[in-house]
Amino acid sequence: MYIRDFGMDTITLAGPLAAKLRAMREAGFSQVMLAARDLVGHPDGWRAAVAEVRASGLRVTGFQVLRDFEGLGGHLHDYKVDMAKAMIEMAAALGSRVLLACSSTSQHASDDPAHIARDLRKLAMLALPHGIRVAFEALSWGRHLNELPQAWDVVRRADCPNLGVCVDSYHVFATGTPLEALEAVDPARIFLVQLSDFMWNEVRTPEERMATARTFRVFPGEGVHSAQLARLVTLLDRMGWRGDFSFEVFNDDYQQLPQERVAARARRAALWLAEDVLRRSTPLPSQLRARVAAAPSA
Amino acid sequence: MPRAWTRTCVACWAHRARESTAVNHPLAREIEADAANRLGLEGIEYIEYRSARPQALGHVLELMGFRPVARHRSREVLLYRQGTMNAIVNAHGATDGEPPALAAIALRVRDAAAAHRRVLELGGWDVPVQVAPMELHIPAIHGVGASRLYFVDRWREFSIYDVDFVPIPGTDPRPPALAGLHWFGLVQRVGAGRSADWVAFYGELLGFGVMGEDREAGVLPQGIVLRSPDGGLHLQLVEPDTPHGLAGAGADGDHEHFERVALGAPDVPAAAAALRARGVRFVETGHLAVQPRGALTQSWLDGVMFELIHHEPPA
Repeated sequence: MYIRDFGMDTITLAGPLAAKLRAMREAGFSQVMLAARDLVGHPDGWRAAVAEVRASGLRVTGFQVLRDFEGLGGHLHDYKVDMAKAMIEMAAALGSRVLLACSSTSQHASDDPAHIARDLRKLAMLALPHGIRVAFEALSWGRHLNELPQAWDVVRRADCPNLGVCVDSYHVFATGTPLEALEAVDPARIFLVQLSDFMWNEVRTPEERMATARTFRVFPGEGVHSAQLARLVTLLDRMGWRGDFSFEVFNDDYQQLPQERVAARARRAALWLAEDVLRRSTPLPSQLRARVAAAPSA
Repeated sequence: MPRAWTRTCVACWAHRARESTAVNHPLAREIEADAANRLGLEGIEYIEYRSARPQALGHVLELMGFRPVARHRSREVLLYRQGTMNAIVNAHGATDGEPPALAAIALRVRDAAAAHRRVLELGGWDVPVQVAPMELHIPAIHGVGASRLYFVDRWREFSIYDVDFVPIPGTDPRPPALAGLHWFGLVQRVGAGRSADWVAFYGELLGFGVMGEDREAGVLPQGIVLRSPDGGLHLQLVEPDTPHGLAGAGADGDHEHFERVALGAPDVPAAAAALRARGVRFVETGHLAVQPRGALTQSWLDGVMFELIHHEPPA
């Protein structure tokens, strides 16, 4: 078992934050991807939620999600800057080092790459003093940017060390982006990897992609793209990515199951990826003992 | 974050900074200089300490050659001065038990309101205004940790201290500098793997560039040194000695802050001798011992120290 590099996403589980965190911990996970709703929806307020996360001992993989930030002008831009600042402050309070921002779906957003890059650079600057990196993700139904290579292109254009991309297997498979395209991305600028699969071979329209993404994703190993998913994870590993892998699984069925049942499915997915795909394993106690015995004495 | 990447990235930013000055034509150089100094930076107006023990900190400043010259009209704030240097000790809002902190740098700029607008447009965080009636509103953005960066444009025709401060009777309002001491810069502690981020921050918002190997190094030459486009402020970024890996900056592992002030001295051994005569002790061991290129003072009040660096005062 070596699932330290994998984590669950709170959006997969139903129930209050404390129950979600407990289910993840008890399933053997050591990290959690949080959403702003986990904090502001807490009955005792967002600061109580932050305290709960910190007390759980789970490391925060990242914080989501800032939407529709880039490409706006005038008062819309100013409004989004305020939203971004509030998200950054919550992420910082959690000790999260990553803020997820996804490509705009707004019809008011410009498609000018220079404008988009300028806005993303500003977002990165806002996050920078807080020690937060911005992971920019191409939503497969994004208005102007909907594939990973496009996201990488604007990130490269924006050129800020704390701005990178999020690789989300769902969107990569939904748009049929060739995995080879990933090799063009500087692995040091991948700040987050989100993994999930789905049960259809194809999702052709943006509407289909959005509906499937929001209601019927499944864990790695449970969908019809397992071979592709294994290739994606292996490719990332070869590029030097060691984690974090976060399971971002929106699924209406999982929302009506006990948390531990869903967490057990997540654990099964993590074990499949860690042991069968990546062949990562924890040193056995006997091996550790042998290493200690073999170490030269001081 | 892989450290190898950070190094590559910092080197890359340094390379770009050097490239940006590689222009031959004099007019092109001038245009380039203006473009690099979009805010019209012209040195440091003041450096501000926050301390719940203002008298103890004031005593340290006096040992270093500063003299108290004025008091704030409405708050427990004192202005110290020597030569071209203004240092402010602010006890307002300081927390008991906390060591003194370097709370702010006030930068002289061509137009404070325009400079403030520009850095906000680029992604700086505004500091809300909190002034009493008839006091100056000095625009600011948040800097590293809890610090602030102020923008001041009134230092030629009249001084900001004429408005907010009352002179201390019987004191010389312009005490001379000891041994030519002047502001050189500050040392900023940054989290593991965070140097490239801060290089980008100061480069983007204020036009700072990375200095090459020919930089003034002092006795603690580690890290990266940034210089303001006018040459009036140096920032030395220093990562932890032991990398904290992923638990770097922003997480609990690292506390990012301004650690100490560096004072320029045209003759470091002479300045050290003058300060010793006033009761200042210097680190005297190994490579940190007083030498022509630099020196490091003792530490007071849980961490207040000063570095001397061989540097001629600006013309």
